[in-house]
Formats: sequence, structure tokens, C-alpha cells
Amino acid sequence: MNHFSLKSFLTTNLSISEDELDAIQKSCIIKNYPKDAFLLRENEHCRHILFVEEGLLKQYAIDEKGKEHILHFATEGWFLTDRESVYFHQPSKYFIQTLEPSRIAFIDDGFLQKLEKKSAKFRDFYNLLLHEQIRYLQARVMMLMSQTAEERYLQFTKTYPDILLRIPQTMVAAYLGIALESLSRVRKELAFKNFRNITT
Amino acid sequence: MKNSRSVELVVAPREPHWVGDGFQVHNFIPSGPRLDMYRMDPFILLDYNAKHDFAPSLSPRGVGVHPHRGFETVTFAYQGKVEHHDSSGGGGVIQEGDVQWMTAASGVLHKEFHETEWSKKGGPFQMVQLWVNLPAKYKMSAPKYQAIKNADIPSYPIDDLGSKVEVIAGEYRGIKGSATTFTAMHVYNVSLKEGTKFDLTLPSHFNTVVLTVEGKILLNDADTVPSDYLALMANDGEQFSLEALSDAKFLVLSGEPIKEPIAAHGPFVMNTRQELMQAFEDFNNGKFGYLED
Repeated sequence: MNHFSLKSFLTTNLSISEDELDAIQKSCIIKNYPKDAFLLRENEHCRHILFVEEGLLKQYAIDEKGKEHILHFATEGWFLTDRESVYFHQPSKYFIQTLEPSRIAFIDDGFLQKLEKKSAKFRDFYNLLLHEQIRYLQARVMMLMSQTAEERYLQFTKTYPDILLRIPQTMVAAYLGIALESLSRVRKELAFKNFRNITT
Repeated sequence: MKNSRSVELVVAPREPHWVGDGFQVHNFIPSGPRLDMYRMDPFILLDYNAKHDFAPSLSPRGVGVHPHRGFETVTFAYQGKVEHHDSSGGGGVIQEGDVQWMTAASGVLHKEFHETEWSKKGGPFQMVQLWVNLPAKYKMSAPKYQAIKNADIPSYPIDDLGSKVEVIAGEYRGIKGSATTFTAMHVYNVSLKEGTKFDLTLPSHFNTVVLTVEGKILLNDADTVPSDYLALMANDGEQFSLEALSDAKFLVLSGEPIKEPIAAHGPFVMNTRQELMQAFEDFNNGKFGYLED
């Protein structure tokens, strides 16, 4: 399993003073969870930004018919939260659950807002992260509005290169908004097109 | 007298974990003490399914479709039967005493389950799965199987009581093993009757372990290796003695290190991170083929 600490993420991506790094780390709680643990449930208030140091999370909603719709997966190095709940203080519509034993850093949102006010450098960085997320969400909306099953699948594998080996196909289909049969068909067609083109 | 090889460490089996729902394994390589991929080169994984009783099941237990690239998987069946299928249409049954040597190389997609009829009856199940690394120049070669039936494995008798060395790969006292390998190694299944003692001579730079799958053995008149324990031999000499303290069966692995960088993630073992990313991309794009779950 991969390890990706919040500390190494911050020091790699942000020129940050030791004091600022210490302050962020002190405001974080790092917890280990077994597989299938809930980090957020529908109607709860989300108060943290989650950073995956190890393991895998899914954020999903259950509709009135009991069907699961997966909004995001988060693997090592990903942030995950319910923006609506954490920023606008609304009860969450989502569940966040571990799909593997996971090590998660909980970053207090109030602390991040204070840090943004104090440090221009951090504000710029956080701004960049938010824009990255908006870019990802735009692509995700367009995927669901206009892409074929094959295009959705290929985009998914670029976003999450190693995830196919870690989750059942039913979850991939629930993320892509396609039937399981369509996912199987796409994978089969790709294999027929590409199989055995690899030996050098 | 050749210089003697000492025992570096006797390792207890770690807490087992499940691979799918059909294999309850103790991992020795790479997670055991001093048993990481570089120390054990060319052996990069050793999972040991110690004797486990499976209840009868109409739907066979096992592990679903998954890929491999960059190495070989070797399955040793001690008890129970395993059925396998792959994306190029191959398949077969590994029976008790058989060895399946699969060269995944550029890529294989396969699944492994308890054999259907065996699963209906259930019973004791005991297996070893070993991953043998491939040198860079063979990592992208064509996949192949060597299905080695027990009856075809040549053996060398150690005594008149039934003690013998089954030579799976490499050679023992002039007897060549059944499997062909990409790098030099010796792989034996040894059966030893209580009280029988013999010596093994293996090149000192070959990384060597002995896994006791049945009974209890004594190494160099000093170190006891109980059932399900593994002995890591030091690289300080060639010859060591093995004596059965009770009727015993054990696996001997001894291989010449490949000495290349290792980039490993999940079922792919390559030389660089870039090659690993390529493996994931090829798998995602269907280049390993397709196999129904």
C-alpha cells in the first residue's frame, strides 16, 4: 500500500515555514480506520477537510430508491470533504466511507480559514487547490452530460490509474453513471482492440 | 569439506490475511524481518497458505480476475486443488504435489479458484505461492505456463525409507529440475523421514530459504525449524545440514540475485516507476485481455 503524508504533500507543494507547518500539523488529527468505516454520514455536519495518507475513500449519496451514486473516490494524496456542509454549514447529503484500511488526516476548516488570512502564500496555494477541484468537477459534469461509456471509462482511468484493482466493478459503474453491463462491454471491447499489442 | 553456511534467522509465520476468499496466507517475503525484495532477490513474494480446513462449498472460493506483469508466479500445491483460467484462453488444475510455473512477463490476466469438485467436498488445503522476479530484458517477453505434474518431477532418493529431493528447478546431484528459469536458481521439495540427515550445498551468493510445510527439522545440528516456520540462510558459505526431527516436508528456494532496481505496486513488478505507470495504463486499456469474473 502507498503512503503519502500530509507533511510531505505540503513541503513538496508549498514553500512553507517550519512554524506554519507545525501549526497545520498541530491542528490535524490523524486517525486509522478499518475497511468500511464511516467518516461522515448523511445529515451530519462535516467540519473537516480529509486528506488520505493511506487507503481509499468514497463519497456517495443514496437516492430514495436506495441506489448508490458515487460522487468521488479519494486515494493516497487526495483531499476530500463536503464543501456544502463544511463551508455553508449545511447538513451533509453524503456519506464518506473507507474502502480499505485507511490513515486519514482531519484538517479543521476553521483553522484553514484563519491560516488563509494570515499567510498570503497559503491563501494562493489553497486557492489553487480549490480551482483544481473546480476543474475536476467541470470535467466530471461534462463526462456525465455528454460522454460515451467508453470515454467516461477512459477518463476515469486517467483520474484514478490504480483504482480498478482496488474496487469492485459495481462501484466503477456507480461512479461513471452507467450500468454494470455497459462497463463490462466497454472493457471487453477495449481488450479485443488492444490485447496482445504489448510484447516488445 | 566445503565452507559451511549458517542460519541467519528462523522466522515465525506472521498473522495470516485472506487473498480473495480462497487463500488464507502468511506472508514471509517481502514483509517478514530481513525478507524484503532486495534481500531475497530474485524472490519477491512468498505467501504460505498453512494447512487450513475448508468447509464444503458449492460455489468455489478463490481470487477473482487480476493481472500480473514483470515476474513469474509459482504455485506449489501440497493439499487441495486449484483451478485457474487466463485471458488467452489457457487454464488447468493444479493437483496435490504439482507445481505451476507461470511466466506473467508482459502481462497475464487470470483467476484462481478451488477446483469445483474439490470445493464441493472441502478439506485440508495447503499451498505456497512464490513470485520470482524477471531480469529487465525479459519483463516484456511473452507469457507462458509450465504445468508440472508431480509424476514428472525428477527426484533423488536420500535413503531407503522414502526420503527424497524433488528437483523442481535447477539441479541436485546431477538431476536437472523440470522447470526452465530465466536466472539461475535451485528449487526443491524435500521429504525427510524422522532421523534422516543430509547436506545441501548451494552457492553462497544465492539467496536461500527453507520453509517447513510439515514436521520439524534441525539445521546445522543447532537451529530447529518447526512446521510453518521459515529459515533464512546467511550468505556466508555453501553447505548446511538438514535433519528431520519428525517426518518432514520442506521447500528449499535458492536463487542468484538479479541486482536490478525494483519498482513494485500491487500485481506489477518492474524496474522503474514509469514502467509501473505504463503497466496500470495497459491494464486499464485492456492490453492484458479480458476475462469474465
